[in-house]
Amino acid sequence: MPEIYFDSASTTPLDDEVYQTYIDLLQRYFYNADSLYDKGVKVHRLLKKAREEIAKLLKVDPSELIFTSGASEANSLAIKGLCFKKKKGHIISSVMEHASVYNALKQMERVLGIEVTYLQPDLDGMITKEMVKEALREDTFLVSLMSVNNEVGTIYDLEGIKEVLKGRHVLLHVDMTQAIGKIDVDLKGVDMASFSAHKIHGLKGSGLLYRKRHLELEPLISGGQQEYGIRGGTENAITNILLAKTLRKALEKQKERYEHVAALKEYALIKLGKIKGVTVNATKNDIAYILNFSTTLKSEVLLNALNSEGIMVSSRSTCGSRENEPSRVLVALGIDDTRAIRLSFDYFNTQNELDYFMMVLEGILRKYGN
Amino acid sequence: MEIKYEYIVCRYGELVLKGKNRRDFINALLKNTKQTLKEFKALTYEARHDGLYIHLNGEDYGKIKTLLAKVFGFVHFSGAIACEKEIDKIAQVALYLAQNTKAETFKVLARRQDKRFKMTSDEINRAIAGVILKNTMLKVDVHKPQLKLYITIANDLAYLMEEKSPGAGGFPVGINGRALCFLSGGIDSPISAYLTMKKGLRVEFIHFASMPYTSKQALDKVKELAKILAVYEGEAILHIVPFTDLQLAIYEHTDESYAITIMRRMMYRIGDELAKRRHIKLITNGESVGQVASQTIESLDVIAKVADTLVLRPLAMMDKSEIMTLSRNIGTYEVSILPYDDCCTIFEPKNPTTKPKLDKCLYYESKFDYESLINDCLDKIETIKITNEIEDEDIF
Repeated sequence: MPEIYFDSASTTPLDDEVYQTYIDLLQRYFYNADSLYDKGVKVHRLLKKAREEIAKLLKVDPSELIFTSGASEANSLAIKGLCFKKKKGHIISSVMEHASVYNALKQMERVLGIEVTYLQPDLDGMITKEMVKEALREDTFLVSLMSVNNEVGTIYDLEGIKEVLKGRHVLLHVDMTQAIGKIDVDLKGVDMASFSAHKIHGLKGSGLLYRKRHLELEPLISGGQQEYGIRGGTENAITNILLAKTLRKALEKQKERYEHVAALKEYALIKLGKIKGVTVNATKNDIAYILNFSTTLKSEVLLNALNSEGIMVSSRSTCGSRENEPSRVLVALGIDDTRAIRLSFDYFNTQNELDYFMMVLEGILRKYGN
Repeated sequence: MEIKYEYIVCRYGELVLKGKNRRDFINALLKNTKQTLKEFKALTYEARHDGLYIHLNGEDYGKIKTLLAKVFGFVHFSGAIACEKEIDKIAQVALYLAQNTKAETFKVLARRQDKRFKMTSDEINRAIAGVILKNTMLKVDVHKPQLKLYITIANDLAYLMEEKSPGAGGFPVGINGRALCFLSGGIDSPISAYLTMKKGLRVEFIHFASMPYTSKQALDKVKELAKILAVYEGEAILHIVPFTDLQLAIYEHTDESYAITIMRRMMYRIGDELAKRRHIKLITNGESVGQVASQTIESLDVIAKVADTLVLRPLAMMDKSEIMTLSRNIGTYEVSILPYDDCCTIFEPKNPTTKPKLDKCLYYESKFDYESLINDCLDKIETIKITNEIEDEDIF
């Protein structure tokens, strides 16, 4: 049976070169980056160098980068770290956000009494700059929005939102997890941004928060001098060092991979159009990496049936896959969330795989669909 | 849109040079430029009488620009596009350049090296300006143009340039010999090394380390500084002197107020001897008049008396603020201010004398056998090569 992976928006396999370097580093440099003997100092230097390399790739200053355990932690640190400083006020976000943003905001409402406006998408699936402008209040101190949606793939109008916030004392946090390595990201005009390594062929447990110089955050993990005192705990040095290579390779291959994936999506859309009972859940401006569609079958049933044919897909954000709650995102778009399937592509996927997938899908729908 | 250049035209500095000196200057400059830009393998070079012409052959001008600005010997350089020496073709390139700038006003500055070219410089200026006026929104401004369009009619082709990037100035490194430069880890000594190199001297660094009173990080910091400076000369040599035993002996045998003076005299003796052994004719360091107790005129006088080798102090008459500005510009400042003790700060006496007497120095020095300690230091010098290449590149 073939093994076909259409779930790269959940996570990706490790890059070969990153893997080799990982093994090499694990053997040579287990030392504490804050130890004062030669070996510790060496690890410290490699970590410093990695931070500089990443800063160069993102066109920011090394001191603006905080290594985290992933994008979820980065989102938490950005939102809660700021809320703990501000203690009161108003935040603008949307119902389209990832759980790590949405639930952090819910928590801040509950615990600190911070007020949050959750914007609803328009008919095109977009969160527009006009909506943000309208929601702004005197006491708004933060706008937190994602740049690419993880369930349907909408690319939001970040530049427009930057424009609205220009000249105002409102900070902008952007969850760029699904954007980095796929589309160009520009941190100009962004005050905080979250990134993850495992979505771009890096290690799990590896992420990054960019936060503009002089922007103060309360630490969530109290500890020593690590990460400018904002995130305590012995540095996960090797993992953090590897993020430099992970990011460099993802950015180097971005264009080439996007072209490949865009061709796949185009092909998939044509094929899906010919299968009875399939509705594509497209928004106005979707990334090529994600394709969401609904069928006449319950998501869970279709997922199981595909799984038994060696095809791996998700029905929604994987971080919510074990919940019984409906998907906020799909509901907001007016999509029946119980029948949706998300395909997410990657550079290693092929047209042959899609052909096989379409054949299997058609078979399943013919047999069980109604 | 970003302009796609084909050439870089680099203009030589110190044009007063004539004859053989000029040839040496250009040859050294060519060699140094190639060394600095060696990672860009496709580049080809042609040293002409009016400048060094680098053919990019597809290499990225943006990346090269930063490195080229660190080669001593060029006054300025420009990205250039070449074309055949026909006025229509020149106009075409000129228009391309004009259309891709944000400038609103311009001026054409043509120059003929090939006097057989049938138009005079002035005629070229007028013809090209006419084409730009007709096809763009730009206006002519002969006094303060935002865009200066340089056209050189060379013997082979016509070269068009629209911007001048400042070069590092000075003489090509190596053309004036070698110098031994004291490198402490502070703000001043890297700048003295920089100015020494700028005058065309290849620099070797000497550093006095007081392990274990000073840390590994302090030494790494010095290496880091040497690495930043190595960019200007391709590859630098760093001599690390194990100084602790001699330093402890000084503190044991001299009055505290004289300890720094005697220590400086010992450093000069070691530097002097090392320079002789390596056939180096000049010592430079970061001393600046009046900055600290050991840098009063009286101190500098008794300290330098121990060395035969010529000692020059590039920073002698500079203000601290001038030195710091330079330090920030060349990128050593951030490293220099890292808080690791060096051998001068660690044994800092409470009341150093500002007017040391030579006879007193001689008296204290007579109390212990410093010569064998100096020889010991010299024997144990660790000499390492510092390159500007990135270590562990495969990790990133």
